[in-house]
Amino acid sequence: MKRKNNKFNKRPQNPLNKLSLFQKSDSRFSKKCPLSGKEAPTIDYKNIKLLKRYVSDTDKIMPSRITSVSQSKQRKLTSEIKKAKILGLI
Amino acid sequence: MNFYEHTLIAKQDISTAELEKIEKKYNDIITKTDGKIIKVEKWGLLNFAKKIKAYNKGFYIHYKFEAENKTLEEINKNSVIDNSLLRHLTVKYKKLDTETEYFKETNEKKKQ
Repeated sequence: MKRKNNKFNKRPQNPLNKLSLFQKSDSRFSKKCPLSGKEAPTIDYKNIKLLKRYVSDTDKIMPSRITSVSQSKQRKLTSEIKKAKILGLI
Repeated sequence: MNFYEHTLIAKQDISTAELEKIEKKYNDIITKTDGKIIKVEKWGLLNFAKKIKAYNKGFYIHYKFEAENKTLEEINKNSVIDNSLLRHLTVKYKKLDTETEYFKETNEKKKQ
């Protein structure tokens, strides 16, 4: 049980507790995937409003390390964006 | 039998009578080869994001149907030859949702 609790109870450490300046802090910045979950929007090539959020100004697909989309959803996003590009929607 | 979605893009300089002919033509192809049409959506005249063969706009027609492999071959054969079409795309689905229409609002606003 202790181990399980440790996983979720990561509190931000005091920076003075570190041994050196370059030691990484325990609590890393993390964000949940916006496309997975119960009330997530459907990824589809007709849903242009959603797809345009994940495309840069020059029509490149944004990397998931910026948008924090999960890997399986990112794979689906790329295929749907490419379909929309064939039809000239994006 | 599987579910499919098919979208056509027709050229902008086509008259309305010819547009209806195109819509009817692909309707007949699906029904003749033992397919079932579930829904037909007309998205109307939409702007392209980039130019396609020196055209800036095009008419979109969207089919939702249930069919087998041979109808897809027929559709592909006809739309490659067709001079009044710019592009076409078929997508396979396990389940079709016929309720949500993503292009309905934009068309109604233009009419008002």
